[in-house]
Amino acid sequence: MVFLKKYVFLQALFLTIVMFLIGMYVGISFEKKNLDKSEAFFSESEISLMDIVALNNLASSGDVSCDVLINSTFNFANKVYEEALLLDDYEKSGKVEGNLLYVHRKYDLLRTYLWMNAIKVKEECPDSFSTVVYLYNYDVKDLTVKAKQSVWSKILMNLKSDNPDEVLLIPIATSDDFVSLEALTSELNIKTYPVVIVNEKDVLENLTSSKEIEKYLN
Amino acid sequence: MDFLTIVYLVYSFIAFYFLFLFVLIYVQNKKRINWVPPITKRYGLSIVIPCYNEEKSIGKTIDNLVKNGYSNLKKIIVVDDRSTDNSYKIMKKYEKKYPGLVKAVQTKKNTGNAAGAKNYGAKFVRTELIGFTDADSFPEVGAIEKTIGFFDDPKVGAVTSTVLVQNRKNILCRLQAIEYIVIKFTRKLLEFVDSIYVTPGPLAIYRRSIFEEIGGFDEKNLTEDIEITWNLLAHGYKIKMSAPSKVYSIAPTKVKAWFKQRIRWNMGGVQTMIKHRKAFMRNGMLGAFVLPFFIFSWMIGVFGLAIISYRVVRTIILKFLSTSLSVKSQATVIMLNDIRLVPNVLLFMGIVVFVLGLLYTLFALYTIRERKEFKRPCVFSITTYTFFYLLVYPIILVVSAVKLMFGKAKW
Repeated sequence: MVFLKKYVFLQALFLTIVMFLIGMYVGISFEKKNLDKSEAFFSESEISLMDIVALNNLASSGDVSCDVLINSTFNFANKVYEEALLLDDYEKSGKVEGNLLYVHRKYDLLRTYLWMNAIKVKEECPDSFSTVVYLYNYDVKDLTVKAKQSVWSKILMNLKSDNPDEVLLIPIATSDDFVSLEALTSELNIKTYPVVIVNEKDVLENLTSSKEIEKYLN
Repeated sequence: MDFLTIVYLVYSFIAFYFLFLFVLIYVQNKKRINWVPPITKRYGLSIVIPCYNEEKSIGKTIDNLVKNGYSNLKKIIVVDDRSTDNSYKIMKKYEKKYPGLVKAVQTKKNTGNAAGAKNYGAKFVRTELIGFTDADSFPEVGAIEKTIGFFDDPKVGAVTSTVLVQNRKNILCRLQAIEYIVIKFTRKLLEFVDSIYVTPGPLAIYRRSIFEEIGGFDEKNLTEDIEITWNLLAHGYKIKMSAPSKVYSIAPTKVKAWFKQRIRWNMGGVQTMIKHRKAFMRNGMLGAFVLPFFIFSWMIGVFGLAIISYRVVRTIILKFLSTSLSVKSQATVIMLNDIRLVPNVLLFMGIVVFVLGLLYTLFALYTIRERKEFKRPCVFSITTYTFFYLLVYPIILVVSAVKLMFGKAKW
């Protein structure tokens, strides 16, 4: 009888483990589904980027107009931006598995590539648009920097919505092991993040309003 | 997986475990929840009422006990702990009103706590059973009789009852009324695993021989009713609860008094844990469940409060910095992304735990049958209880721990 009374503690433990495993399974499946979606989006974006690069190569032979080149670059940037917002949501929901971090890094690399491509497009079509590259820290703990980054993101979003066809906004989370990004920024003498780079020459380490950036646009 | 995720998952696991434990205990014993053993012997009973400045209620309490309907109630010993109001005079008046049944006594000097007055009153008891009721508590008619049958088992050392709130005029009292009902339900479930951890002051009956064997109430403890229960468990005695035996008690009506009472309860709980620490993982259910349950609850309460405080403070600082920078930059202060809740496994677990917890509270409220004058709690009271009242608990834990550390343990 006494044993039967105490048996309930084990029964509860068993039920809890079952419930917990179900919960974890549902959670991991949910995160896995998000990861699969992100991977699928990334693959599509990769194809789009390759397409743009191919288009860019054609441009040098004079077969493609600047309008086509600029439009395709802007469309691609907008697509990647939308996907980044979605990825941000997925990352917030990714509590159990940390795989989305790698997708984020892949996207950052993709955006670096987009930046390089945008530089080429501007060479083909001078003064056609401005690139505004926002380099920020990915997993920042310092609250002052976090608040600063959050406000900068909003300022840049305002800038983009005020100048949708003039500004190509490229946010990239910095990473020490992106050699291409390092090569692109090496001449700019960047010491701290976040920074905003306008048209590969003006580096803004302090940002108070979107008007301030507009002064540097083409 | 980061540290906070692990912490949240551990908390969810613990919450699930206790919810399932109580659900299983209920399912396996639901027919016995309101069961009361038939009376085969009318044990002689004396009731001790400790009293300190209770001139408003002491007369009503005595009247209530006299009319309670237990035929073998031999004595009502009212102990005045050197009140500064008219309590003693009123007791004397009632001694004359019920000659031979009511005995008014007075401690030599104020003992400073209920335990002192209770032990003093116990010296005058000669019956097999000894009961205690607070001076501001009113057992329902027949409440005493419903506890007697449990004493046929010689291992039963004490029988406790259902404590409910008498006064429900303000929201604080109504919240306590809900809390008392949930506690009552939980305590009855714990009886089925021999883990009742308190025999509350409003009405508890003890076998006198056992009461004396364990040395009565600990006068150094702020919650003598918790301590004596653990002491009984440590000595291998059983504690039963008669769910249909109801006693109505006056609850604090003001936040300050309520907070002070809760601090005292918690400090007493910690004192009891420290006193019985050696029973950990020994001494039957006291060491196997009651003591670990208390220690664990205390630890996760304090740790949870620390984590929540850290998160809240961090969020406030971040919001303050972002808002002031946004205002300076004339940027949007709040965007949809900032306030959107993104579904994740922790949110899912949290919602499940919350819903199950709420169902548990609702079920406890559903099972109780109170006097007709008391309406069932309204949605507002239940919501306030769930979202605000329960969240104050960890703060009480921390304040009591700090007070205890600085030696401020007083009644």
